[in-house]
Amino acid sequence: MVSVRLEKVTKKFGKVVAVNNVDLEIEEGEFMALLGPSGSGKSTLLYLIAGIYKPTSGKIFFDDRDVTNLPPRERNVGLVFQNYALYPHMKVFDNIAFPLKIKKVPKEEIRRKVFEVAKLLRIEHLLDRYPGQLSGGQQQRVAIARALVKEPQVLLLDEPLSNLDALLRVSVRSELKRLQKNLGITAIYVTHDQAEAMALADRIAIINEGVIQQVDLPEVVYNRPKNMFVGGFIGNPPMNFVEAGVEYNETVKLIVGEDSVWLPQEYIEILRKLKLQKVVLGFRPEDVLVLKDERQVEPGSSVIRGEIFTVEPMGREVLLTVMIGETMVKVYAPPTQYYSMGDKVFLQINPAKLRLFDPDTTIALEYLVKT
Amino acid sequence: MKKNIFSTNKVQLLIFLLPAFLIVLLFYIIPIIITVYVSFTPMRNWNIDKYFNVIVGLQNYNRLFSLITRDPVARQVVMNTVVFVAITLAINVLGGLGLALANFFIDERVSTGFRTLWLLPRMTPIAVYGLLWYYFFHGSSIGMLNSIAMSLGLIKKPIAWGQEVIPWGPWSIIIIVNGFVGVSFGMVIFYSALKSIPRELIIAARVDGASNWKLTTNILIPLLRWHLLFVTTWQLLSLLTTYAHTFLLVEWGVVSRTYGQTWALYVFNTAFGRGEQDQGLAAAAAVILVIFGAILGWITVRALGFNKMITKPKGDI
Ligand SMILES: Nc1ncnc2c1ncn2[C@@H]1O[C@H](COP(=O)(O)OP(=O)(O)OP(=O)(O)O)[C@@H](O)[C@H]1O
Ligand SMILES: [Mg+2]
Repeated sequence: MVSVRLEKVTKKFGKVVAVNNVDLEIEEGEFMALLGPSGSGKSTLLYLIAGIYKPTSGKIFFDDRDVTNLPPRERNVGLVFQNYALYPHMKVFDNIAFPLKIKKVPKEEIRRKVFEVAKLLRIEHLLDRYPGQLSGGQQQRVAIARALVKEPQVLLLDEPLSNLDALLRVSVRSELKRLQKNLGITAIYVTHDQAEAMALADRIAIINEGVIQQVDLPEVVYNRPKNMFVGGFIGNPPMNFVEAGVEYNETVKLIVGEDSVWLPQEYIEILRKLKLQKVVLGFRPEDVLVLKDERQVEPGSSVIRGEIFTVEPMGREVLLTVMIGETMVKVYAPPTQYYSMGDKVFLQINPAKLRLFDPDTTIALEYLVKT
Repeated sequence: MKKNIFSTNKVQLLIFLLPAFLIVLLFYIIPIIITVYVSFTPMRNWNIDKYFNVIVGLQNYNRLFSLITRDPVARQVVMNTVVFVAITLAINVLGGLGLALANFFIDERVSTGFRTLWLLPRMTPIAVYGLLWYYFFHGSSIGMLNSIAMSLGLIKKPIAWGQEVIPWGPWSIIIIVNGFVGVSFGMVIFYSALKSIPRELIIAARVDGASNWKLTTNILIPLLRWHLLFVTTWQLLSLLTTYAHTFLLVEWGVVSRTYGQTWALYVFNTAFGRGEQDQGLAAAAAVILVIFGAILGWITVRALGFNKMITKPKGDI
């Protein structure tokens, strides 16, 4: 097992900059999720690590070994694809054996290793079939087996579960995590499903337009997004953003429409330093209390008023879309209340959970002062 | 209700199949019937009034048989055909495969030009293309091959390659000329098949450690299996029946008539050639060629498992 380090890696396809000046380190045995929207450069980044593409500039290290110019076969990585990419003309056994056959491993050893990994993934009974005769979930296990059989230094997974149905996805992903931890393999897992990333990863790297936005523990990425993109990408539904003015008096508070929002001490200090006149207030749908009656509002708390736009019952809770002035936000409310379109509501925001962003750079204020 | 749907299906089927059926009938079945019929008549010099209604039974076939067994020219035709078809087929299929693979591994921009170059022999009118080779293999010192060989000091006097170097001179020429026309067919089919292999499959093989060679032998060629079968059968049948290029080379004297004449050309020359035209005999030879083609085609289809290529419909609709 190795650590993987990317230093200022850029990959251009003609004019398209698919990966832009990426610095990233994945520790030995770490499970890193690479999360980003479609076309953000996730696959390209994986292929760079696998050696399929050469970086336009920058360097890639496995531990301290510079692998930037090594072809794929000298890197010993395992790669699993969304569409499995099994060789259709080979039986499952030969598919899994292929990387070993290429390496000219003795026949007996190939057999032993293939059976071993097949047992691990519980596909021993499928070895004699062709990929076309397997279900999607089975094919994916075969693909993972083929990636693992060569005992790779790094395991790269490119949206491996997105062709599976929701139930199977959840069971395979926990299996995958167990497998990765048991084998202690360094793994990079590409997905654009943020729930999957949160569930699986030791750390999450978020990428957008080829630029790494944030690399952190899942809870940090969720609770303290570095910028509006990360906040707006992670969470389902993602973070809400509302523009707010700042009022500096004996204390510092935000003005949203006619309402005031009180800030925690941390943000008061930051704002006094930065002296911003406008900020973007971010809060997650579950971090507000939806009140129908102004009299329910706790004195001294921050409340923003709005009007219900849509109501979506979700079972455990109700998802409300609320208009605050011209801005739409989504909030969760308990299903015990009855809500209907056009109702006036009061959103009481948990001050500990609110986030502030600089409207110009979209960076979270606490990260602005740190740097 | 069920019956109704069934009958609409039949009407639809008819509408879809009719044009193809008419074409097959008009250009294939009727000519075959006429040819078979003519092979039983003593038709010669296109004297339809005189011979069309005379049936002579298997006489033409007997003549053909005794020609092949006794006449060295006719026997040479058989030999020419076997050598020509076998070697040109190998060149067409393997050359096409090689070119497609070369195209696959080189840069897309370069390969487009490269492929067009190889399509030129097919796009060029037969006479123009033939003329090119006429000058290339010409027996005097204006022949390009001769002038190159002489300027390199390999030969002292010009050589009439297709007339003097027997039998490989004329054989090589007809094989080369037809080979160049044929490779582009395999190349185009194989190249488009290679391009349609999912990119991930190739990336997977690379990550699994495959070199270009291993990728080719272990992944690409097995995946081209059906295309290989198709091109082989198709080219086999078209080589058996092709004669246009060879006809010109023989007429222009680039290639010896004895050693350049294949069965298909023999049929043509017998029916339409100079001197006495013997359509009865030509028709018999044509019928034998068709039967041979059918048998060979059937054998390749069987031997190579072509029937599996006609895949079962996916699903039950
Ligand atoms: N071989 C290529 N040639 C040209 N452009 C490419 C190539 N591969 C990727 N790109 C471009 O680079 C950008 C990043 O592509 P990439 O496939 O890495 O995205 P992704 O994050 O994996 O997206 P998805 O989630 O849809 O798989 C895209 O704009 C894409 O069009
Ligand atoms: Mg991708």
